[in-house]
Amino acid sequence: MERKESRWGWLFIAPAFAHLLLFALAPILYAFGLSLFRTRLISPEREFAGVENYTFAVAEPSFQNALWNSARYALVSVPLGLIVALAVAILVNQKLKGITLFRTIYYIPAISSGVAIAMLWQYVYLPETGMINSLLGMLGLDNKKAFLDDVGSAMWAVAIMSVFTGLGPRMVLFLAGLVGIPQELYEAGALDGATGWRAFLKITLPMLIPTTFFVVVTSTISALQIFTPIYMMTKGGPEESTDVVGYHIYTEAWVNFNTGLASAKSFVLLVAIVAVSLVQFRMMKSQLKGYSAA
Amino acid sequence: MRRWFGLLAMALSLSACSTDPDERIVIRVANWGGADDESDFAAKQRGLYEEFEKRNPDIKVVIEGIPGPGEYVPKMILAHNSGATPDIATLDASSSALFINSGMLMDLATLIDKDQEFKLNDFYLNIVDIARRGDAIYAIPNDFTPMVMYYNKRLFDASGVSYPQNGWTFDQFRETAKKLTKKDQYGFVFANWFPGWIMWLWNNGGDVFSPDLKRASGFLDSAENVKTIEFLRTMINDDKSAPSLSQAAAAGVDLFANGQAAMTVSGHWGMVGYSAAPKGPDGKPKITLADLGVVMLPNNTGKPVTVMYESGYAITKRAKHPDAAWRFIKFMTSYESRLVLNQTGIAVDARKDVSTERGKDPLEAMFLPIIPTCRPPYGTMVEGFEMVETQAQNAMDSVLKNGRDPKAALEKAAKRIDSELAKRQVKR
Amino acid sequence: MRQHSAVSWWVGALSFTLAIVLLLLFLAGGAYSINPDDLRLNLMGRLASSLLGLFGLCTLVSGGIKQGFSYTGMILLALFLLAPFVWMVLVSLHPSKTPIPTLDLIIPKEPAWDNYGKVLFMPNLPVSRFFLNTLFVTLSVVLGQLFVSSLAAYGFARFQFKGREAAFGLFLVSMMFAGPVTQIPVYLMVQKFGWLDTYAALIFPGISSAFTIFLLRQAFLAIPKELDEAAKIDGAGYFRIYWRVLLPLAKPSLATAAAFTFFGVWTDFFWPMLSTNSTEMRTLEVGLSIFKNSYGAANWPLQMTAAVIVMAPLLVVFLFCQRYFVKGVMMGSIK
Repeated sequence: MERKESRWGWLFIAPAFAHLLLFALAPILYAFGLSLFRTRLISPEREFAGVENYTFAVAEPSFQNALWNSARYALVSVPLGLIVALAVAILVNQKLKGITLFRTIYYIPAISSGVAIAMLWQYVYLPETGMINSLLGMLGLDNKKAFLDDVGSAMWAVAIMSVFTGLGPRMVLFLAGLVGIPQELYEAGALDGATGWRAFLKITLPMLIPTTFFVVVTSTISALQIFTPIYMMTKGGPEESTDVVGYHIYTEAWVNFNTGLASAKSFVLLVAIVAVSLVQFRMMKSQLKGYSAA
Repeated sequence: MRRWFGLLAMALSLSACSTDPDERIVIRVANWGGADDESDFAAKQRGLYEEFEKRNPDIKVVIEGIPGPGEYVPKMILAHNSGATPDIATLDASSSALFINSGMLMDLATLIDKDQEFKLNDFYLNIVDIARRGDAIYAIPNDFTPMVMYYNKRLFDASGVSYPQNGWTFDQFRETAKKLTKKDQYGFVFANWFPGWIMWLWNNGGDVFSPDLKRASGFLDSAENVKTIEFLRTMINDDKSAPSLSQAAAAGVDLFANGQAAMTVSGHWGMVGYSAAPKGPDGKPKITLADLGVVMLPNNTGKPVTVMYESGYAITKRAKHPDAAWRFIKFMTSYESRLVLNQTGIAVDARKDVSTERGKDPLEAMFLPIIPTCRPPYGTMVEGFEMVETQAQNAMDSVLKNGRDPKAALEKAAKRIDSELAKRQVKR
Repeated sequence: MRQHSAVSWWVGALSFTLAIVLLLLFLAGGAYSINPDDLRLNLMGRLASSLLGLFGLCTLVSGGIKQGFSYTGMILLALFLLAPFVWMVLVSLHPSKTPIPTLDLIIPKEPAWDNYGKVLFMPNLPVSRFFLNTLFVTLSVVLGQLFVSSLAAYGFARFQFKGREAAFGLFLVSMMFAGPVTQIPVYLMVQKFGWLDTYAALIFPGISSAFTIFLLRQAFLAIPKELDEAAKIDGAGYFRIYWRVLLPLAKPSLATAAAFTFFGVWTDFFWPMLSTNSTEMRTLEVGLSIFKNSYGAANWPLQMTAAVIVMAPLLVVFLFCQRYFVKGVMMGSIK
């Protein structure tokens, strides 16, 4: 019986696993092999380098800058995206007329083509004629700032864009979580005097921990991997203030053709992501324990 | 749903079959970009492909258009690396070092020697030299363009300013721009992309690289270059005879083509846009070719110089049908084909006979004295020159957009370029 | 819907009337605000009274103060998110090559419909072919991915087997390794298979996804195991249980996964660009970027026209399935 079940289990995951081997694990192994060589895409020469690419990458100021930029981006965009999505989910989790319309509207930025969204948000941030600056101008405020060209604001501009373009999926996940909270909990809470804000803190938030966890982990991963908006909007500028690791690796591989070094950098990024995810797993686990004990 | 999906699959497979009923030789031709509603360049080009297929019933041409140069180069290199290159690659002078040095391209010398009909002497030989390495020739040039200063004669006349003359200096240029600046009109609009401003450095006695192409420090951050950038910054920030970059971005339009700037720097391709400029409220175009004048960039060295961008056709080493590919190139670079394409205003032709013919046009004639001052771009000598462009552009941006000190910005960029170049050695 | 309470009626009516009065005052006062600081204050006042008016109106219509606040917030957010899209459509109707219009000139005097003709019938860009390609590839990937990934999710959710945790871990790690670097080996492999420039290259790399497996496994775990047992007693095999019991119950999550995949594939750019060569095999997103490259930033109206053309099918598909999607997700649960 046990044996038989084992065989069935493998049978069901076999197609996906074969796909994983072929299109994910094999390329990752290949990349790992590359990372141990001094090699360039445009030259047949290669030389075994051991960990040299890794030591070089970690010591390289521009790569450190990229790591720092990615960290900064994730630290801003993940919490901000989470809070906004939760707030919006609560807002649209009411039995109000036309609520589906609002949910639909909030999802639209997330379904948009990357090229189109990049063009639109370039407009949003344009000086003078851009959306934000037009509004500032209407209020008689300074409307000259080119948000994407300013070292101080470019990263924020991209992060804020991601809060809204990523709002849809996060909102839906939170909505699902909110709907999944049994109504009886609130009724019981009301008897103990937990209503309104207190009910939110005592019941809603704890019950949303699994959803929050899923959202935090997946959006941290994608924040640390961000590439397309940077490629389309800032090309890492101004002054490399938006040169995040994803874009940095892209230029290393596709502009400089330093494939060995780029592979090594991909693995540094992988280690960073796994480490961050593990820490998040730990933290969430202790949170969950705390609540089940209470 | 399922039925629709089946129909869709059928439609796609049918159309895939119907395009390939024959056993013609297929030659694949890669080029970049090419969406344009206003020039009929694309339509004319397509007409020529069809004409070629008609005259060569055994050959079918498949065009592989790749979005832009930023995607074209990596894609071609990857294709080369995996043995999937097309038969013909369009070669951009700016990335030719990379293409030639990576061993992607075939030496055309034997094909040229064998062919009695084809004469290399029909082309400007200095243009042919861009893809020549010793006796080997890797591409046949199509056309090229120097970067020039365009001016709007109508705006000059309205302000009573005399037209600029070849050999003018930076100071004369600055004064001219000031005189042409008034309400809703700028004297000059600065094209803020490195390939469009490297010549400013040269014309003030500066450069980007050491002569052996190994080092940017001491060259990109030279005192001359600092002065050049300060000069451009002064025009924008103090004279206000050129719009700030954010003003230009806010307009979202080419201010010169819009008749709001009296001078700008561009290649010959600029004319494609100027010949179909936006219309004003009176229904008349804001600028026409009759308004245009062309002059060299100003210089302070007594030796005017500019950069030349060029494109040509190359056959790849892995081409399955080099002879068919050669027939295609010969057709596309023939007098009759080039004359058709060149009339769209895209560039100066690499064929002497076509350029002479087109030079009868007074506007075209203004390009002729500039051609001898051309220098090929660094991309013909340095592999992956995009990296240098990015870093130099970063320096310019940090000065013009974020108010940094030009000297510090250039020093930073030069150091960075040197370290990136060092990284590129397989043996470190 | 809550009953109209007297308090909320009064609050709504009062704030609405007050807002109208204030707005009129501010509008009238605008002429007297000569120095810039006064003018700025006046403009702020107009904004504040407009907001108050919106709140009053919402309260009146919805019949509750809390609802009034909710609607005000939701409307403002919706306006903010939709504004760029409305702008996109409006600018696409300005004549080609005109400067970016300021807000007071945003409505085109004579809509330039010919922009759409220009983009759709570009001599060397067969947009309709791009559209069919995109549709075919996207639907194939969505259907294939749902099948392959849900099978795996079933395996992970319902069977005990050796190496299960390790295998699942591998899927998770693969999700964390993204990089331009793996595109090189995938390209080499696809080339060896002879798939370059075919639909296979566009479809097969996406036919399974770790994210979808993760999502569907969660959904299957939430379905009580007793249902499986009941079906088993009725003589159903494992595949039948998966097909007849679990899949129908996981419909909401399948819808979510389908939507995530659909929009992801439809808007993918880099891989289609690398793996296809001929113009006939291009997808819309790659086609649009050819367009963006050719015009740089200097022709906003035509760029926006192209953006509308890429976005419109997405919107239509989304509006068609949103009811099922947004509602469906909420009925299921992802925990």
